[in-house]
Amino acid sequence: MLKSRRNEMLVAAVLVAPFVFIYGWMFVYPTLQMVQLSFTNAPLIGPGKWIGLDNYKRLFGDRVFGTAVWNTTYFVLLTVIPGTAVALGIALMVSRLNGWFQSLILSAFFLPFVLPITVVYLIWDWLLNLQFGIAQYIIGPIMGKPMNVWRTIPWFMPGVAIITIWWTNGFSILLFLAGLRNIPKELYEAAALDGATRWQVFTRITWPLIWPVTVLCLTIQLILQLKIFDQVYLFSLGGRTAATMVMVQYIFEQAFQKNSGGYAATVAVALFVIVIAFSVFQYQVLRIRGAR
Amino acid sequence: MPHVELKNVTKRYGNVEVINGLSLAVEEGSFTALLGPSGCGKSTLLRMIAGLEEITQGQCFIAGTEVTDVPPAQRGAAMVFQNYALYPHLTVRQNIAFSLSIAGASREVQNKRVGEVARMLRLDELLDRRPAQLSGGQRQRVAIGRALVREPKVFLFDEPLSNLDAMLRVQMRLELAKLHQSLKTTMIYVTHDQVEAMTLADRIVVLDKGIISQVGTPLELYNKPANKFVAAFIGSPAMNFFKAEIAGRDGEAYSLNLPGGRTAKIVSRGGTVPAAASVDVGVRPEHLKLGPAGAANSHFDGKVSIVEQLGNSTLLYVDTPAGQLIVEGEGNLKIAVGDTVGLSLDPAASHLFGTDEKVI
Repeated sequence: MLKSRRNEMLVAAVLVAPFVFIYGWMFVYPTLQMVQLSFTNAPLIGPGKWIGLDNYKRLFGDRVFGTAVWNTTYFVLLTVIPGTAVALGIALMVSRLNGWFQSLILSAFFLPFVLPITVVYLIWDWLLNLQFGIAQYIIGPIMGKPMNVWRTIPWFMPGVAIITIWWTNGFSILLFLAGLRNIPKELYEAAALDGATRWQVFTRITWPLIWPVTVLCLTIQLILQLKIFDQVYLFSLGGRTAATMVMVQYIFEQAFQKNSGGYAATVAVALFVIVIAFSVFQYQVLRIRGAR
Repeated sequence: MPHVELKNVTKRYGNVEVINGLSLAVEEGSFTALLGPSGCGKSTLLRMIAGLEEITQGQCFIAGTEVTDVPPAQRGAAMVFQNYALYPHLTVRQNIAFSLSIAGASREVQNKRVGEVARMLRLDELLDRRPAQLSGGQRQRVAIGRALVREPKVFLFDEPLSNLDAMLRVQMRLELAKLHQSLKTTMIYVTHDQVEAMTLADRIVVLDKGIISQVGTPLELYNKPANKFVAAFIGSPAMNFFKAEIAGRDGEAYSLNLPGGRTAKIVSRGGTVPAAASVDVGVRPEHLKLGPAGAANSHFDGKVSIVEQLGNSTLLYVDTPAGQLIVEGEGNLKIAVGDTVGLSLDPAASHLFGTDEKVI
C-alpha cells in the first residue's frame, strides 16, 4: 500500500516536472530577477549596484511615470467598457441577419482584427493625414480647420482608443455571437408569448444569459489594454512622447533607450502590481454582479 | 361558434408549401389533438395559432376575434414547448411570474398568482430552485405553470411529453387530463404519439402532408377510418392490408376474391366500386379470428412465423397467401412457431379502400 502510494507520487512528480521546470525557468525566475533588479542601478545588460529603495523613491517623484499611469488608466477606461458595449451592440445586430449576408457582414467587422498593427497604423495615418487624409473632410467642417489628431494632446488618447476598438472588436463580436447563438430560440418565443417588449427581452433574457461572455470579453480586454504599447508608440513617433507616454512604453524607453535596466524593472514591478489590482477588483465586481 | 378557427390557412416557406388551404374549427372547452407523422405540419399549425409563425394566406380566429396579424402575447393563447423553454437564469417562481412581472403587476399580485398555480401543480417546494435543479417532469410542470398563470383562453401544447421517459409520460398524461377536467379551457395538443392523442383528446385531427386527413373522436378514427392513411396510422400494432378483387355486390356488402382462392364478404361504408376492380382490404389484428387450418369458414390458411407473448394478449405473425398478417389472440394462446392456422375476417370490422386510398 505504502509502496504503491510512493510510486504514484513519483509518477505524479515526473509528469508535473516539465511544467514546473518551464514555469519556474521562464516565469518565476525572471519575475524574481526583475524584482531584484528593481533595487539596483543596473544598465540594460550586466549587473548593477544595490541601491535599496532609491528607484522606488524616484518613481513616486517621476512626472513622466505619473503621466504614463494616468494615460494607461485613461486608455483602459476609453476602450474596455465602451469597446465591449460596441461589440455587444454589433453582435446583436449581426445576429438578426441570416445566411451568407450575415457571414459577409461578420467578416467585414472581423477583417481589421487580422491586420498587423503596422498596417492599422498606416491606414489611419493616411486617413487622418493633415494634407490629403479623407477623414479631414469630416473633421475640417466640424472643427473649422483640418486637425492633426496625433499632435493634439487631448485628441491623442481618444483617437488611439477609437482605432483600438475598431481594430480588436472583431474578436469580441465573435465571442458575443457565439454566446447569442447558444440562447435557444424557444426562450425568445416564450418571452414573446409572455408579452415581453424587445427591450424587456434584452434586459431580462439576452443580457443575463450572455453575462458570462461579457465577463470573458471584459477580462480579455482589460488585460490586453493595460499592456497597451504598439499603437501609442507608432502614433506618437516624432511627437512629444512624454505627454502621451503609457506604462509599457515607459519601461521600453527606460530599458532600451536610456539604458537603465534597474529603473525599468521598477516601473515593470509597478505595472505588475497595477494589473493584479485591476484584475482582482474587476473579478470581484463581476462576481458580485453575476451572483445576483 | 367555434373557439379557435382556422379558415383556408396556407403556410409557405419560400416555394415549399407546408400547409395548404386548411380549415379547422375547435369547440370551446374541447381537448383537440393534432396528430400526424413528423413533417406533416402539425407543429407549424400550432405555432400559427400561437402567432409564432406568420400565416401566409388565410385567417385565424380566437374567441370570435380575428388574430391573424395580432402579436402572440395579445392572442390569449399560452403555449407549452416540447423542450419546456424555461428561462434558465430565473427561479421557478420568477419563471412562472415572468408574464406578470413584464406586465408590471405588483409583488403581492405576483406572489398570490404564483402561489395558486404552484399549489395546483404541486410546485410549492420548488419555487426557489432553478430549472437546472429540476427533473424533467418538474420542468414540464413549471412550463405548464407559466402558461396557467396567464389565464389564457386557449392552451397550446407542442409535444409536451416527448422528452420524458415512458413512466413519467403516463403520469403526466393523467395530470394533463385532470388539469383539463378542472379548468375546462380549450386545449390544442400536438403529438405524433397516437396513444397520447387517443387517451387525452376528445377530438383528434389527423394531418398528412399539410392537409387534414380526418377529424373525429378517438373511436371514430379507430373504427371508421376515412382513408388508408388514418387506418394505418391509428392503432398498434398497425392494421393489416392486402389486395383483393371485387367479385360482386350484395346490398351494402361486397364479395371479394381473396388471394389464395377463397371468397369473403365485407360490409362497405356506402362507397361504390366497379366489379373486378382491385381494392385494398384493411383489417385490424384483433379482428382476425384464429381457427383450425382448412376450416370451412376460414379465409386464409397460414404458417405462424413469429409469436410475441405480451401477457394480456399474444401477437402472431402469420405467413398467408395475402402476405404476412398480424393476428392478436388471447394471452394464454397455445400456438408455437411453425404451426398452421386458419384465419377468418370479421366482415363488419374490415375496411375496403379504393385506388384513391379512400374508404369504400
